[in-house]
Amino acid sequence: MASGYPLPQQKSKLLLHKGWGSEVTSPSFHVYRSEIILMINKLKNQRLTLGLILRLLLGLAVVIYLGWRIYQTAFGEGTYGPDTWMRFLITGLVIGGMYALIAIGYTLVYGILFMINFAHGEVMMLGTFAGYFVLEAFAAIPAPTVANPDLNFLNAQPVIALVLTFLVGAGFSALMGYMLEKIAYRPLRGAPRLIPLISAIGASIFLQNAAQLLFGPQRRQYLNPDFLWRGTGWMILVGGKEVMLTYTGVFSFVLSILLMIGLFIMVKKTKLGKSMRAVAENKQAAALMGIDVDSVISKTFIISGILAGAAGVMWGLHNGLFNHFVGFLPGIKAFTAAVLGGIGNIPGAMMGGMLLGLLESIGPALLGIDFQLKDVIAFTILILVLIFRPSGLLGEALSEEKV
Amino acid sequence: MKTSLTKGLRSGIVFGIVFIFLMLIGFINVGADMVGDISSASAASGAGGRLPVGDLLIVIAVFGVFCGIAARSKSEEVQWWSALLGGLTAGITAGLLMGVAIWLVGSLSLDGVDFRTYLPSLNPASIQYLTFYSYPQSAGLTYLMYMAIFSVAGAALAWLLSFRDWLAKSWNSCKTGLGGWFEKKDVSRIFSNQWLMIVVFLAAGILLYFLPLAWGSYWNYIMGTVAIYILLGLGLNIIVGYSGQLVLGYVAFFATGAYTFALLTAPTPHGIEMNLWLAVGLSILVSTLTGLLLGLPILNLRGDYLAIVTLGFGEIVRILIRSDLLTSLTNGPKGVTSVGQPNLFGSPFSDVNFMHLLMLLVLIGLFIAKRLKDSNTGRAWIAIREDQTVAQATGINTFKHKILALLLGAAFAGLAGALFASRNQFTGPEDFTLMVSVNVLCIVIVGGMGSLPGVVLGAFVLKGIPELLREMADYRLLVFGALLVVMMIVRPEGLWPARRVRFKRSHADPDRQDAVEVEV
Repeated sequence: MASGYPLPQQKSKLLLHKGWGSEVTSPSFHVYRSEIILMINKLKNQRLTLGLILRLLLGLAVVIYLGWRIYQTAFGEGTYGPDTWMRFLITGLVIGGMYALIAIGYTLVYGILFMINFAHGEVMMLGTFAGYFVLEAFAAIPAPTVANPDLNFLNAQPVIALVLTFLVGAGFSALMGYMLEKIAYRPLRGAPRLIPLISAIGASIFLQNAAQLLFGPQRRQYLNPDFLWRGTGWMILVGGKEVMLTYTGVFSFVLSILLMIGLFIMVKKTKLGKSMRAVAENKQAAALMGIDVDSVISKTFIISGILAGAAGVMWGLHNGLFNHFVGFLPGIKAFTAAVLGGIGNIPGAMMGGMLLGLLESIGPALLGIDFQLKDVIAFTILILVLIFRPSGLLGEALSEEKV
Repeated sequence: MKTSLTKGLRSGIVFGIVFIFLMLIGFINVGADMVGDISSASAASGAGGRLPVGDLLIVIAVFGVFCGIAARSKSEEVQWWSALLGGLTAGITAGLLMGVAIWLVGSLSLDGVDFRTYLPSLNPASIQYLTFYSYPQSAGLTYLMYMAIFSVAGAALAWLLSFRDWLAKSWNSCKTGLGGWFEKKDVSRIFSNQWLMIVVFLAAGILLYFLPLAWGSYWNYIMGTVAIYILLGLGLNIIVGYSGQLVLGYVAFFATGAYTFALLTAPTPHGIEMNLWLAVGLSILVSTLTGLLLGLPILNLRGDYLAIVTLGFGEIVRILIRSDLLTSLTNGPKGVTSVGQPNLFGSPFSDVNFMHLLMLLVLIGLFIAKRLKDSNTGRAWIAIREDQTVAQATGINTFKHKILALLLGAAFAGLAGALFASRNQFTGPEDFTLMVSVNVLCIVIVGGMGSLPGVVLGAFVLKGIPELLREMADYRLLVFGALLVVMMIVRPEGLWPARRVRFKRSHADPDRQDAVEVEV
């Protein structure tokens, strides 16, 4: 625990001689054995400190509370029918997909630079704005036909228009991510870790206010093409009642899944992905192997910008209203998602995003609390995860240096 | 020559884009307005209620000079014509960008395009001003010409300065001279003279006593805000600056203090109307307990993780305060009004009295923080900040010290919160956004982590100056964000960095002098 770490190497050596004798049968067994020894050591040295007791008590209290509330909702007066739960599920998955996309950006950057890219939410916000302007421009271009003289380009060629919107939104966010890294983070490479974080906070404030001053503080409405209009969708029957599966929701969800698969393939299969993983593992060694670390970092920011920009356009298409604050909460929540899944871990970020979206939409109903408090749920989850499992759900145990 | 050309091109592009950005957010007009205020001799606006064009030209000229200076290549050996060519390139590039932008905007505006739907700052009046109330083409050419001329002038200036190395030399000599002056033994002897210092402190005290009387209530308000932020900064400085725990949810403690005080003294939600001094004590206590509650489970986290958890905690506190769940307790989004005000011999505090109280508390806070820093605990904190593992290995109980830092910091925030609520006579949930935490953190960082004069200076720079620049109120946060980034790049140690204390052996032990000399 916090007080009194023993010196691990020395102790384990000591036990090695005492307990298991000195003959080593096979290397794999050797590794395995030393791990066991470390574990035993850890248990032995686990002192019952105040912090530990408090954590246990807190954990117990949380479990009891959750159990009680869930029991109440499930077996108490059934206020919500299955259709409502379905609705929550759909909302959660759609929002979760966007969270996951943004969370991947955090995780990629954190995995490589060990810094929280605080301005990542703002990068997403800029993507939302870029997409909005592209859609407005397409709507202003006339493309009249004989049947419909008022037709504009947005509705005449909706697929091309949407593809271009996503390209511009993601591209602009990528450009912003690249510039951000170049201006605000690159000069601080190698500084103490607090310094880039402050710089990131500054960049976040700057971008948010720049957007406000440029485009005004009022809320704007996204202009979807007609076939993807908000509030339209398929009706599905759940428990005898109709639940709407909105087109925008399905579109966003599918697109985010596709982007995640694409990213996963990129990281696992391509040369850039390989060099990214190498840089995340060890910058110096990667540089010695001939990898241009700076360019890999730049590309990482570009990739996370692309994902954030796509998420921003989706956010606009799905939710409609937005202003310059649109990136703040999703940014923080996506960071929560990244931590939830284990920061630095890409599948973790995806899973964390989905999970957080679901918890946020289902949680208030499940716990029987006010929907105003859904942000509290996200932050409480963050705190609980960090208290009980700082490495996240999928993350490997980070070494002391990283946590 | 090639380097100066590319350098000029790059500088020109950057300055052109920055100018267009500033134009789009309406900052150029505000800047010209401020120039007009400064050179108020020409303040009589031109014919027909038009704004004076000269002010705008001054802004462009200043921009051009900086563009030229930035185009200077770093390498020492640059011919004069090469430097001027670089400046000219920069000026023409930036001028072309600006001129084309002005021409486009101006002619579109003349054609009846309304930009305000998308870019609210670009209203027709300001566009007319930006085009000098003339044709857009000629205005664009004017921009190009001005930028070219003044960029060359800036480049020439930069070249002259770098050629003579005059500025660098004089700055260096200034620095060494001042340093030498400070290190003189006579000076240190004067400072170590107790009687003299008492006189100095007395004089400062008298000055501090009379300043609020002379200022008037507006300045008292601003300086009161600064004082409250100094208290907050002192508290966060203990947590972040001394013990190195990055806490981003400091506003939670501030809010707890303010709300405790407000609810205990205000008549509306609960009607307790407690004795104020007792309420202040209680709000400090409650804030400290909040710190304990937060700190015990999470303080073994480090760095960014701790930052995000505390950020989440701060947001939770704000959301809970304004939620329906706690409305019966905290009065929800409406906030608590008519918070109790202190009395002085039966009559309520005036703003001058309040300012005196704040000054006194700031001085006490500074004293406490200073003593804490020099104490055993303070050294333990600094050891933890530098390297936690090593600190642990040397036998410091890191957990205890970290929690102590958090509790002390929370206590400062509780006091500041109580004062804040009492001074404003109101407290609402929107006073306690994340921006407060960020502001206080920036005070600590910009001032210099762990440095007490730095906190005071930081509070004046970050809270005082923006309050004074009312014209720039809209652009305050923008400048603030940019300032943070630039500051971290240029001077990460802060405006007034903390001195690293080196412990020498005592002079009373002359036999051991050799040890010191060997080390030096």
